[in-house]
Amino acid sequence: MARLIVMGGGVSGHTTATFAKKWLGKDHEVVVVTPNSQWNWIPSNIWVGVGQMTKEEVVFPLAPVYEKAGIDYRQAKAVSIHPDGKEGDDTPYITIEYTSSDKAGQTEEVTYDYLVNATGPKLNFDATPGLGNGEGQMGSHTVSVCTADHATHANEELQKIFDKAKAGEKQKILVGTGHGMCTCQGAAFEYIFNIEHEAKKAGVRDMIEIKWISNESFLGDFGMGGLHMKVGGYVVSSKLFAESLFAERDVPWLIGAHVNKVENGKAHYELLDGTMGVEEFDFAMLIPPFAGVGLKAYAKDGSDMTDKIIAPNGFMKVDADYTPKPYEEWKASDWPRTYQNPDYPNMFAAGIAFAPPHLISKPMQSVNGTPINPTPPRTGMPAGIIGKAVAYTICDMIKDPNAKPHEASMAEMGAACVASAGKGLTTGTAAAMTVYPVVPDFEKYPGTGRDTDYTFGEIGLAGHWIKHILHHMFIWKAKLKPAWTLIPE
Amino acid sequence: MKQEEKNFEQGQFTLTMIPGSFARKMRTCILWQAFRFAVINIKMLVVVSKSH
Repeated sequence: MARLIVMGGGVSGHTTATFAKKWLGKDHEVVVVTPNSQWNWIPSNIWVGVGQMTKEEVVFPLAPVYEKAGIDYRQAKAVSIHPDGKEGDDTPYITIEYTSSDKAGQTEEVTYDYLVNATGPKLNFDATPGLGNGEGQMGSHTVSVCTADHATHANEELQKIFDKAKAGEKQKILVGTGHGMCTCQGAAFEYIFNIEHEAKKAGVRDMIEIKWISNESFLGDFGMGGLHMKVGGYVVSSKLFAESLFAERDVPWLIGAHVNKVENGKAHYELLDGTMGVEEFDFAMLIPPFAGVGLKAYAKDGSDMTDKIIAPNGFMKVDADYTPKPYEEWKASDWPRTYQNPDYPNMFAAGIAFAPPHLISKPMQSVNGTPINPTPPRTGMPAGIIGKAVAYTICDMIKDPNAKPHEASMAEMGAACVASAGKGLTTGTAAAMTVYPVVPDFEKYPGTGRDTDYTFGEIGLAGHWIKHILHHMFIWKAKLKPAWTLIPE
Repeated sequence: MKQEEKNFEQGQFTLTMIPGSFARKMRTCILWQAFRFAVINIKMLVVVSKSH
């Protein structure tokens, strides 16, 4: 009997674990180690953040789902990996620390035959002084929509702003990225336009100045270097597409910005041209930069070998080309295909947890040498597809250790993205987009890097309906309800 | 002043495009969006199938 441990129960880890268990059946063990007791459909957190959904609508408890699936669920955080075992025992294992109330703080060693790191991001608020509280958590000057709890708090603060606006006090809202190396601009994009939509509904839009701040060198970069998509028959740059929406909704932007300090009501920033500035705000949602969760790795003799399998950013090395090279030499083939660690073929990293070979966007730095560029997004559809491919590979390897791994390169897969611009059954809108491939391949598609026959965008109520349906569909799928496997990632 | 013209008073927005009243109405026209819902879903399913 083989044991697969999946560290992380998010989109990628949950996909890996549930498919692996379905295919392996009772013959082999699947263990999920995650510090969370609940699964969160993160794309809907922005709606919680404006009071259009409750926390209960975007989360559900994991334990009953895993029990139904026959998955061994341990509510714990993974602390270290020991891929060569220990003195006297070659069996690889991980160490975990329980976070459940009944076992909080208890540690345990869990052996494995196959290991998947799907731990997702550490929300690195402390990378920007004042954005965090100095202890690894969000500070008190800004809000976040990265988790359901954060989003609930964000809405509470937002409603106070609306109340002040209704009372006749002008308010200033700032939304965007809280560091020069952030990703997830899409979530901030959705949040700013949902705030704008709700402000209009509340009748206070004219009392609220709403402004965007981000590390993108142009609006519409989204961490993907922007894209060219078919819009109404034209091939349009995402820059024009995004700027149009910002202009339409009267939301000015400040881009190429590295927020380097946050104080009460102030965000200090540096621009690409070296200018230093301050944006004042009454309410701010600034996405934190991501890092790996801080896993350590140890050799058989107990020596620290973290550098061997974990990149400096904390994400796990996989079968990518990590050779440092200039932007002009980046290739689609630099990106991983199997997500196996090159030194330990029974170890994989899926979703956000794998270390990308480099950015997708063009690297930029200010005249002072400060890096100001979005890092690559690896969420949603790609995360799920990668998780499923890794599950496939492991199931094949359990039957035949020399089985050929399945491939899921982000340079050969597309993504369907729906960015909400306001919720409402008949009044909502969203930008529905497809991009193919996610990582541009300028050798295959000279000019735009992507296939414009399969890369398109459109704003409208239909997009909103799609996003709302996807909310229900993916929660249905994650709960392993009937026909869940028929819903594609 | 028309709504789509108003925001061009802001310097930053001068070089972009803003939808006029018809384009804005079509964004939330139920009949038109029901058609677009079908079209977008087909396009998305094609991209999803190419990616799996």
